[in-house]
Amino acid sequence: MISGEQLPRRSLLWLIACQIAVMLPHLERVPLWVVMIYLATALWRLQMFRQRAEMPNKWLRLLLGIAGATLLFISYGTFVGLEPMVALLLVAAALKILESIRERDGYLLVFLGFFICVTHFIFIQTLPATLYTVCCTGLLVTALITLNQNPSGGISNREPALAIKMLTLAVPMMVVLFFLFPRIGPIWSVPSSSGQGKTGMSDFLRPGAVTKLGRSADVAFRAGFSDVIPANSALYWRGLVLSKFDEGAWRTLQWRELPVSERQGVPPEVFGDPLQYRVLLEPTQQRWLYGIAYAKSPTAGVYEASDYRLGVVNPVEFQFGYDVTSWPASVLQPNLSDWRRRVETEFPKGINPLTEVWVRDLRRQYSNDRDFVGALLNYFRTQPFFYTLEPPEILSSDFVDQFIFNSRRGFCEHFAYSFVAMLRMVGIPARIVAGYQGGEVNPLNNTVVVRQFDAHAWAEVWMDGEGWIRVDPTAAVSPSRIEFGLEAALEGASGFLSDSIISAYRFRGIRVLNWMRLRYDALAFGWQSFIVSFDSARQIELLRGWFGEIKVSWFVTLLLGSWAAILLPLMLWLSRERSVQRLLPEERRFVDLCSRLEQRGLHRPFGEAPLRTLRRVREHLPEGDPLYGALEDAVANLYAKASKP
Amino acid sequence: MLSQTRQQGGLKKFLLQRYRRWLSRRLPAARTITLEQRRLFIFPSRQGFLFAFTLLLMLLTAINYQNNLAYGLTFWLAMLFIVAVHFTHANLLKMVITSMGAESVYPGQQAEFFFRISCTSPRRGHHAVKLIWSDSEVMIDVPAAGEVDVSLHHKVNSRGWFEAPRLRIESTYPLGLLRCWSFAQFDVRALVWPKPVSINQWTSPDTEKASVGFSEQEGLDDLMGFRNYRVGDAPRLIDWRSHARGQPLQTKLYSLPVQEDHWLDWHNLGAGSVEQRLSWLCWLVLQHHQRGENFGLRLPDAELSVAAGDRQRDLALRALALYGLSEGRAE
Repeated sequence: MISGEQLPRRSLLWLIACQIAVMLPHLERVPLWVVMIYLATALWRLQMFRQRAEMPNKWLRLLLGIAGATLLFISYGTFVGLEPMVALLLVAAALKILESIRERDGYLLVFLGFFICVTHFIFIQTLPATLYTVCCTGLLVTALITLNQNPSGGISNREPALAIKMLTLAVPMMVVLFFLFPRIGPIWSVPSSSGQGKTGMSDFLRPGAVTKLGRSADVAFRAGFSDVIPANSALYWRGLVLSKFDEGAWRTLQWRELPVSERQGVPPEVFGDPLQYRVLLEPTQQRWLYGIAYAKSPTAGVYEASDYRLGVVNPVEFQFGYDVTSWPASVLQPNLSDWRRRVETEFPKGINPLTEVWVRDLRRQYSNDRDFVGALLNYFRTQPFFYTLEPPEILSSDFVDQFIFNSRRGFCEHFAYSFVAMLRMVGIPARIVAGYQGGEVNPLNNTVVVRQFDAHAWAEVWMDGEGWIRVDPTAAVSPSRIEFGLEAALEGASGFLSDSIISAYRFRGIRVLNWMRLRYDALAFGWQSFIVSFDSARQIELLRGWFGEIKVSWFVTLLLGSWAAILLPLMLWLSRERSVQRLLPEERRFVDLCSRLEQRGLHRPFGEAPLRTLRRVREHLPEGDPLYGALEDAVANLYAKASKP
Repeated sequence: MLSQTRQQGGLKKFLLQRYRRWLSRRLPAARTITLEQRRLFIFPSRQGFLFAFTLLLMLLTAINYQNNLAYGLTFWLAMLFIVAVHFTHANLLKMVITSMGAESVYPGQQAEFFFRISCTSPRRGHHAVKLIWSDSEVMIDVPAAGEVDVSLHHKVNSRGWFEAPRLRIESTYPLGLLRCWSFAQFDVRALVWPKPVSINQWTSPDTEKASVGFSEQEGLDDLMGFRNYRVGDAPRLIDWRSHARGQPLQTKLYSLPVQEDHWLDWHNLGAGSVEQRLSWLCWLVLQHHQRGENFGLRLPDAELSVAAGDRQRDLALRALALYGLSEGRAE
């Protein structure tokens, strides 16, 4: 039959719905025209469905294909790369909708849809996004079922239920495979995303140019502690160490700028109680990581720079999880090399003349380094300095002069910049550290959630015998910033979170909502740390924990066991069905009597008419047997029931 | 080269024969066939292989991007395939097919076979099941605890019994990734009459006068009376009007004109082969039946006494259809 070959009309609607659903998550990373093509082909195909439009001929379809490829090339300038490839996939799917006439086109669309679902995960792996893709999968499976229905049969609306049932039954084996399947490294290198939507910190510091600091409530990273979480004022997440002042901006020392002897950092002697935690960093597209000094990470791929910060070789494109052990009491670099001392005290002379004179005077009063630092902090504390996210612009090169004696309004970077500059003017080694400070503690799973607005800059001062110690000039100006976070520091100001109006973070005043928010965040952390960043190290650890040792036989046993978990309910379900033969009461009565006849040795052959049975047994039963009377009644009832319309 | 092909052909034929023998042993012919476990075969369909290829691509993506969620989705769909094996199998399992007979036909026509497909499960029907013969195919849905009647056609070429060929029952429901199928050989056959061929010069040499009588045959003549209904009387002869008034069923009787008895004799035909003669006789039987005449049939090995009516026609055609065939004598 030809109709069996054709795409059933009903499944077409499901297929179009699926294709649009799988395209939506890519909305933000493909050009708008791709979406337009989708909608246009879907509409055209629907018009064909309603027999209002013709299928475009072969040449027009070829032309559309070439046009799509050309547009792609114009939009991206290349076909290599993750986004162009995804866009290509989407364009192909869109054009396939248009020419889906046969049943096998339907299958192709569904399989294409499955593949597009996988590409969602390359870009985003959060819990809501995963749930959305799971829904897409359900839709695609439903479309697959509609493809196999009898086109001329009665239409039932149970396909989604069947799809859900089948997918649910597949879950146990999927879970087993997920944890058992060996995680091997990439077979070949694949194009990565072009790093759109770079958020978070930049790798240089030039506060004078910023007049309005927009800060979002987006999560920068989460840290799950295995033990007690330190006080908020101790949570200084070191990211970048900015030692080099270059053309009005602070930046980090590049590896090639280091002399060979300085390239390998000397790990400090550790003492005190270590902090154990696991950090789950959201994609930053940058090469540095965050940790509380002094931090060490056993995670593969994480290296330690000579200035005690953690880094990775390749930019963090996807969510990245790493374990950290920190010894906050450690002494960093008790002995400073001459090169290091020279670099860490370098600051151009003569561009901030007022400040230079002033610090030289101050230095005369406080010859001890520690006293000098205390005096500077006291100055910040006592003079009218203000913490604000909307500071006046300072574009001239005498930034320190302008800030210290003139504007006196700024945020952490202003204070850190001026503070370090003043220390360097008198030859005390100092540098700026950029990172995050504080974070929100989620007591439900013992994590600290650090958001973009927790970004901070502070100073490190080297002192003889004590090494690099952390000094935060902002704390002198605005102690609440450090104790309670940015929001407390800006109480009453309008700037806070003005960028993210619908952030759930705004609603934490309401208790139930706040509990739900924390609950969700705990769930998201579990999701990210256990599922998304599952790797071979974790796998081995997990399997060791379960079975003691790893054996191939265990893999096979578990896999077959999970298969049985599906088979057993299914077989039970099938076997129970056999016994549930629904009989009418009259029929059951007759069947019961027949089994009593059987006991008397009177066999009723299969399929014999009941009336005939009655006549046959009459001769074999003694006169006036109650069984015969009962049988007669039963047969009469049976026939009376059967003859009723 | 030629001998090789022949050898290959021979081997193929041999294997096919062995396969058919094995199948008929494994799946013997019957009137009612329940698709039990051992009757069902299952294998991935072409779409299933395409699906597997898609999964491979997905797995490669997961490995190369070290993406756990991609792994998860790939495994989920792979396991869905395993689940589909059971669902596809269960869709056909326990389906009952009963052959309900066949219509008799002339050669060159389509023989129609009737089947009743029933579902014994009270909750789970059989969906999108295809019943396939070489030139006839039908797709049905059997509701839970329900039954569906279908007819399938098969072209027939020569007179005699036409045994129902092996029926292929298949379904890819629900996902189309697997095909589950079975073969059913039914113990049912259709009678194929000889092809009627007109014969112009025909005179019945020994026409005998018959007496006037009653007949249930409806004719041009007047209604003669009634008798009590007997099982088998044609519904159109029943006096429904009186029955509606509450009287028991009555069958109408018509008077018959003076009837001649016609003998259709094999030996009175002109020269011709066996099949030709049978074809002519077939045509004659139909002619006489159409005119409502009494006729008898004489064949070299059988004789059918004079009578009229549908039953007489059927008996005559059956005798012609089975003439000279070993199975016919056995009947």
